[in-house]
Formats: sequence, C-alpha cells, structure tokens
Amino acid sequence: MLRSTSGTRRVLLALCALLLSLVFVLPKQSRMLVQAIGKPLADIVAFPLDLLSSADRRVGSVWDRYVALRQVQEENQQLRREIEFLRGQAADLREMAAANQRLGELLRFQAKAPSQTVAARVVGRDATNWYHGVVLDKGERDGIQVEMGVVTLTGTVGRVVKSSASSSVVLLITDPNNAVTALIQRTRDEGIIEGTYEGKVRMKYIPLLSTVRAGDPVVTSGLTGGFPKGVPVGTITHIQKDEGELFQTADVQPDVDFTKLEEVLVVTVPRSVDAPAPVPPAEKKNP
Amino acid sequence: MKPFLYAGLVMGLVPVQATVLEHLSVAGIRPDLCLIAASLVGYFGGPVDGALMGALLGFEQDLFSAGEGWTNLIAKAVLGLAAGVVGRYLARATPVTVLPLLLGLSVCSGLAFLMAGAGGDNALDAVRSVLLPQAVFDTLVGMGLYWLLAERFRKDDSLE
Repeated sequence: MLRSTSGTRRVLLALCALLLSLVFVLPKQSRMLVQAIGKPLADIVAFPLDLLSSADRRVGSVWDRYVALRQVQEENQQLRREIEFLRGQAADLREMAAANQRLGELLRFQAKAPSQTVAARVVGRDATNWYHGVVLDKGERDGIQVEMGVVTLTGTVGRVVKSSASSSVVLLITDPNNAVTALIQRTRDEGIIEGTYEGKVRMKYIPLLSTVRAGDPVVTSGLTGGFPKGVPVGTITHIQKDEGELFQTADVQPDVDFTKLEEVLVVTVPRSVDAPAPVPPAEKKNP
Repeated sequence: MKPFLYAGLVMGLVPVQATVLEHLSVAGIRPDLCLIAASLVGYFGGPVDGALMGALLGFEQDLFSAGEGWTNLIAKAVLGLAAGVVGRYLARATPVTVLPLLLGLSVCSGLAFLMAGAGGDNALDAVRSVLLPQAVFDTLVGMGLYWLLAERFRKDDSLE
C-alpha cells in the first residue's frame, strides 16, 4: 500500500515537472492547454460561485442597507429633532413678534390718549358662567381701583368691579349687569349701554324723537363708569321702536372682539379728548 | 393623601376654571369644576368635607368672578353638604344614579345665582342661556369623573 502510494506520488511529481517544463518551454501552447482543461471546470465551479456570490451580495446589501438605515434613521431623528426645535423657535418668534406689535400699538395709543392709563394683561376669564368678565394681572398695587374704566385700542371693554393687590376683575360691557352711559356720535342722543346673555350689546333709553339709524357709531358719554368722553363703543345695527314705548332701543355691534382680549388699558384718570392737556409738574413750578 | 388632594383642588381648580377651561367651552358655557368637585368630595368624603371644600372653592371662585357678594361660597358649601348627606344614605351608587344628584345640585346652584340677581332683568333668558346648558355640562363631566373616581375611592368608602 505504502509502495503504491509513493509510486503514485512519483508519477504525479513527474507530471508536474513535465507540465512546468512545458510551461517554460512552450508557454503559449501550455496556456491554451490549461484553458482547454480549465473551461469545463470553470463552468462547473461558476454555478456555486454565482450562488455564493449572489447570497453574499444579498447579505452584503441587506447589511449595508441595515447599517445605512441605522445611520439614516439616526440622521432622520436628528433632523426631526432639529425641525421640532426650529419650529418651536419659529412659533416663539412669531408669538413674540405679534406680542411686540400689539404692545407697540398699545404704547402708542397710551402715549396719544389724554387719559392716564395703566396697561394690563388679561390672564383669565370669569370663574363662573354667570358673568361676562375677565381677570387682569394688575391690581391696587398698580393704582387700579374699583369702578375704573377699561379700554383697548379699538374701544370700550368694561369696568373694574373687584380689585386685589395684584389682580382685578373687569365686568365687560356685554354683561347684562353692566350699564355704561353712551351717546350716538351723529345725533348726540344719550342712552345706556347694557349687555345681553348672548354676548351682544344693547343701547336703551334712546329718545323717541331721535333720528338714529343703523350704522351710527356709539361712543361713551363720559358721565359714568370711569370712561373719558368719546371712547368708541360700537356701531348700531338694528333699531327697535315699539308702539306706546317712551324710548327706542338699538342693537349695537361692539368694536372690541371680546373673545380675543389680551392686553387692555385701565383708565386711572379719565380725561376727554377735548379737555386741556395736563400741565407737567416742572412747568407748574415756573409759571 | 386627603390633605394633598384637597390642597391640590383648592390651589389648582379655580385657575383651571378661569384659564384652560375656556378652550373646552361649548357656546361659551364651561362646566363648573368647583361645583363638581364640591359635590364629589361631599359624596365620597362626607358632608363636612363637602361643605368645607365647597366653601373654600366657592370663596376662591368669588374672588375671580365679577359677581357681587358671596353667592359661590354659600351655594357651593350647601351643595357640598347636600352631596355628602345624599352620599351617606345612598347604598349603591352608579354614574347613572349620580346623574339626578349632579343635575339637581347644578340647577339649585343656578337658581341661587338667579336669586342673587345674576340674571339681570331677564331671568328666563338666563335660564335658557346659562342655567340649563351648564347643568347638562356639569352632569356629564361629573358623571365621567365619578366613573373614574368610583373604583378608587368607593371600595374603602373614604378618601383616606
């Protein structure tokens, strides 16, 4: 057995030596020979190779995709976080810009208004459904007292009914329990502004002979309620003149949108538009 | 547990009522959380707890309401007491049996406001626009809260 093995080895070694010598002696022919023998073998080996290669490609692709997805997912999350952050910043900036604009307008109005006013922020609504009121963030500490009038850039809001050190409650003109004297700007007829439970405003006790008509603006008369004369209240939309009644009643569309109240001015010292401007303390000393 | 719960209700309920609840209003009507809280505290905790909680919440509510006088203080204290008495004698309560209790208490509270002059010179208008919608809203919210709280508090019959 051992002898036969060593004999085969010898034959194989001799064949290898012959092939090598052929390669060196006849390089072109030997290459052709190798190719001729190798082709069928290559075809046979190509099948599992292709199979493995395909599997490898798939695994590689899946792996690459997984790894890439992991990276993309992380990148995606990062980008989402950035978008959320930027969205938040944009919303903050928009809110700040809007607040800035509102406060700027309020300041300009405060500077132009003849009355002395204190700016306050609306921080809440009446704690019950029974009254149309708002809660302000300023109180007696800021000089706000009960019965002071409250206005905005667009018109009359209501009057202060409760005041603590740091907050106050305002009864809106849309409340049925509120009454503010007002006059029709065109005819100069006086009446009383009252609210309704539907959140509307009604002007009562308009003289029967008044020529009031829809579209007439209504302003405060300055007689009661801590308001200066001439602050806009609203516009008359409908007039009710009943048989046998001594007065007319008119529905008024308020100029102020009470659902969007954010900042208001509390009139601490009411002064009409046509009243003389107050003399500054420095000028008083030197007449 | 009870002192913290009560302190939380006293500190948080009126601010929630005056601010956040505005977003949940239907046709301008919000549920009266203080009324619901006083009723449920009375129902689960007894008449004394109900009356005290009602008085505290009502007092606080009066501070942030444009109404004159102390209608909320008196009304909520009485409602808390009434809910406590009813809760003591009601053997087996369900959200459905709580319905007439809350509806009745809310209507009584509304009538107290009308008697205090909150309705102006048109009381019928106030009944239609405020009293009835609020009573329905209070009842629905109260029933929901009762359903949530019943399992937690009714088993040991106390708020301990």
